[in-house]
Amino acid sequence: MILRLVARRPVLLVVGLLIGLALPWFVYPPIAMDIATWALLAVAVDLLLGYTGLLSFGHAAFWGSAAYATGLLGVHTGVPFPLAVLGGAVFAAALAVPIGYLSVKRTGIYFAMVTLAFAQMVYFVANQWRSVTEGENGLQGIPRPLFGADLSEPFHFYYAGLPIVLFGLFCAWRVVRSPFGRVLVAIRDNPARARALGYPVDRYKLVVFMISAALAGLAGGLSAVSHGSASLQGVHWTTSGQAVMMVVLGGIGTLWGGVLGAGLVVQLEDYLSTAQFNGPGIVTGSVFVLVVLLFRKGLWGTVAGWRRGRVE
Amino acid sequence: MTNFLQQCFNGLVSGSFYGLLALGLAVIFGMLGVVNFAHGAFYMLGAFGAYVLLTEAGINFWLALVLVPVALALLGTLVERFGVRWLTGLDPLYNFLLTFGITLVLQDLVKREYGVASQPYPRPDALKGTVDLGLFEYPTYQVFAFAVSVGLCLAVWLLLTRTRIGLIVRAATERPELTGALGVDVRRWVTPVFAFGVALAGLAGVLAAPMRAVNPLMGADMVIAVFAVVVIGGLGSIFGSVLAGYAVGLLQALGQLYVPELAQILTFVLMAVVLLWRPSGLFGREEARA
Amino acid sequence: MRKTAVLVAGALLLSGCVGGPPKAGGKVSGDKIVLGVLNDQSGIYADLSGKNSVEAVRMAVEDFKAKYGAKAVTRNIEVVTADHQNKSDVAGSKAQELYDRNGADVILDVPQSASALAVAKVAKDKKKLYFNITAATTELTGKQCNRYTFHYAYDTYMLANGTGTAVTRQGAKNWYVVYPDYAFGQDMQKSFTTAVEKAGGKVGVKDPTPFPNDNFSTFLLKAQNMDPRPDVLGTMQAGGDLVNLVKQYNEFGLRDKGIKLSVGLMFLTDIHSLGPDAFAGTTFTDAWYWNFDARNREFADRFLKRTDTRPTFAHAANYSAALQYLEAAQRAGTDASDDVVKTLEGHSFEDVFARGGKVRAEDHRVIHDAYLAEVKPKSAVTEAWDYERILRTIPAAEAFRPVNESGCTFS
Repeated sequence: MILRLVARRPVLLVVGLLIGLALPWFVYPPIAMDIATWALLAVAVDLLLGYTGLLSFGHAAFWGSAAYATGLLGVHTGVPFPLAVLGGAVFAAALAVPIGYLSVKRTGIYFAMVTLAFAQMVYFVANQWRSVTEGENGLQGIPRPLFGADLSEPFHFYYAGLPIVLFGLFCAWRVVRSPFGRVLVAIRDNPARARALGYPVDRYKLVVFMISAALAGLAGGLSAVSHGSASLQGVHWTTSGQAVMMVVLGGIGTLWGGVLGAGLVVQLEDYLSTAQFNGPGIVTGSVFVLVVLLFRKGLWGTVAGWRRGRVE
Repeated sequence: MTNFLQQCFNGLVSGSFYGLLALGLAVIFGMLGVVNFAHGAFYMLGAFGAYVLLTEAGINFWLALVLVPVALALLGTLVERFGVRWLTGLDPLYNFLLTFGITLVLQDLVKREYGVASQPYPRPDALKGTVDLGLFEYPTYQVFAFAVSVGLCLAVWLLLTRTRIGLIVRAATERPELTGALGVDVRRWVTPVFAFGVALAGLAGVLAAPMRAVNPLMGADMVIAVFAVVVIGGLGSIFGSVLAGYAVGLLQALGQLYVPELAQILTFVLMAVVLLWRPSGLFGREEARA
Repeated sequence: MRKTAVLVAGALLLSGCVGGPPKAGGKVSGDKIVLGVLNDQSGIYADLSGKNSVEAVRMAVEDFKAKYGAKAVTRNIEVVTADHQNKSDVAGSKAQELYDRNGADVILDVPQSASALAVAKVAKDKKKLYFNITAATTELTGKQCNRYTFHYAYDTYMLANGTGTAVTRQGAKNWYVVYPDYAFGQDMQKSFTTAVEKAGGKVGVKDPTPFPNDNFSTFLLKAQNMDPRPDVLGTMQAGGDLVNLVKQYNEFGLRDKGIKLSVGLMFLTDIHSLGPDAFAGTTFTDAWYWNFDARNREFADRFLKRTDTRPTFAHAANYSAALQYLEAAQRAGTDASDDVVKTLEGHSFEDVFARGGKVRAEDHRVIHDAYLAEVKPKSAVTEAWDYERILRTIPAAEAFRPVNESGCTFS
């Protein structure tokens, strides 16, 4: 019966929303917020990977630098936190212009390497540029003002932050469903053909790269406000790797799979941190390898495929 | 002037490691179309292999220089047979992801066994002290590492240009579709070439053990730098990749000397310039695989 | 079917509303004290602190119970632990969880500066105690200090000041300082330069180095070609970078060319990494050494039995911090944060780690004697981990940053 329900999109949407709303009752609220922000990052990465065929291994640059931008805005201007987060997203989109301009010159595997290298450069700059980023000490004490509301409890903050995540997810969904999104898929499937049809392929790629970076920035900024700090960890390549992992676990090109992947990875990481298990990478890495080898459609893709099989 | 030359040589020593790693990466990429994320992890395993042989079995550096690459070639064979091959014909991104996962596992396995602190590895006695290079004195070991790297790169060059295997590999690298169409059985060479590339990374690791910190994280940052190197050189060109390795080593050394604050990002700036000017790398051809 | 979905959803929401936000879990009352050890159990700090610090805290709990017996403020003392993986966001959430859900009364250790400062913020918000041990930043007792945060063992000022002053006084006047170009290195370099100059020496040249870096030849060549040649190379590198630099320092034979090596931050585990000969003669500041006297040795023997290794200063400091927290709760007769803080402020004490120990009321820096140490050559090493010779005890009052320079205000 549940499967039939899933078949109906609006119902799916409602269930998803309800789970989102109920999350902090079941999960420790700061972790719930982490799941939500990472979910948005994963969706941003999937927008590129699943719908344009570009694997970005450098989204840490956008997540992390938006965290700094949001933090600086919050600390120095004291604007309501959603504005600061939006500022972070704008910054990430701006940073995506030069990085994207250079990166979309290469496709496939090169794109992954180039984005990874540029993100590493952003990391080095953040580490050295202490007067702005506070270096390894991290930018601390990022406030979360919202017209006088008391959001110091993570439980309350979750509900203040959730709309931002939902807004980001909605944007991603709109992009995928728009004519623009269909051109992206056409580019993914056959770039030469898309070019022949007169689409400026590189410009399309650059625009979607910027949108993806902005969404990653939205997530990174919100995460910085949620944790009250922005640190080098955010711009480190492991952050990019984690986001990619979420997408692959959830299912490439499914958009919502990334949300599922984020939930799993964040929970797993949380579990491993108190499980007294030496070497969390052994677990996460093995799961990842297995998924790549055996379940390339990811969780969402596998279930969806299974369901489709049943319906037919 | 002498000082400058000394610093240049010093950059070439750094470049020796980039060159060796880029060589392995390029050979694998050429044959399989796979970018091996785990290349840094194999480099790390090479250094740990030397360490384990020495402490567990008393096997010295010279033997390790032979045994460790062999062991890594075996490991490479396993990875190819049970992992990489599984994904043949799919988007090469899947293999990139696979090797990324393998990196996480290898890194943490070594961490679990040996901890994160660096392990001691002595220089071999014959290579202690310094050697007079005419213009200046230089640590013998570093000269040795440079010589081995250059020697290997030359040997591989001969292998590629003077033998049938080399011909096939080069053809597969540069014109993959055409090679297959001409009836050359490329598949037979896939496993050996992958194993060979991994062995090269392992050898670089053994070479690094006496002069660098041997710890589980030593490969992680290395592999990102090598990615930048091969983008600069053009991954489709084996020689370009190796040359870019030495060039990046040189650039970093001179950068540290003259603009220490910017030294770290110079490689990436160079990469950006190359992407603007010649998107397929200094020596690369137009992309064969879009 | 839709109806069912709506019903299920409604039920979910309802149950949620009734439940309301999860309340801060665990008891914070006097009959149970919970010590939380939050540190890096899989990354670069795992060996020098990590799980063995948890063991050291357990030793402190046992010693406390043995000392007070039935008179203890409570005999119900629990040690909980979490791995923050060197991620400041994980550190922050875990700290909240330790305080809220595990009912931790105090959090101990927390290496890595960003994580350390993030936890300080949580401690301040939750009004719960926090003893930092393994982070090097002076911010904890400086601009970002707060009433509930205490800093033990070491910081960049203490390391640089101890070594810079002592080595310059021993006659090494002309320094060449290389430092990794990030917050820790920049702080070290500044404190180091000040200390050297105050002691009558001069830092001729100082160079930032890339971080991380595996080839330091550029700087080593520069050192040997300098005119006049520096007396000592002061390196502020840590961990893997330090090992790289020292390996290459030895290859270039700088010691034979009259350039001594002085290290900003070195742990016992670093010496173990390269073997003592690589570092022989190198001077550095240590917060504690296991083979310094009989009392330390006795602790180290107990520690060895439980962990198969010798304690670093971080392990001993974790032991001390846990013990001093429990002693303070004992004196206060409660685990109520404000009362415990009150009995800690200005408190002087002495234990196996802290000689001449005192909790400064002004900035919550826990001061104690520090030591100028030298690495023994292998020939002088008589047993495993016996790598250091203590040249001088730096009295607590001299070892740490003076209160008037801290800039700390508890607001």
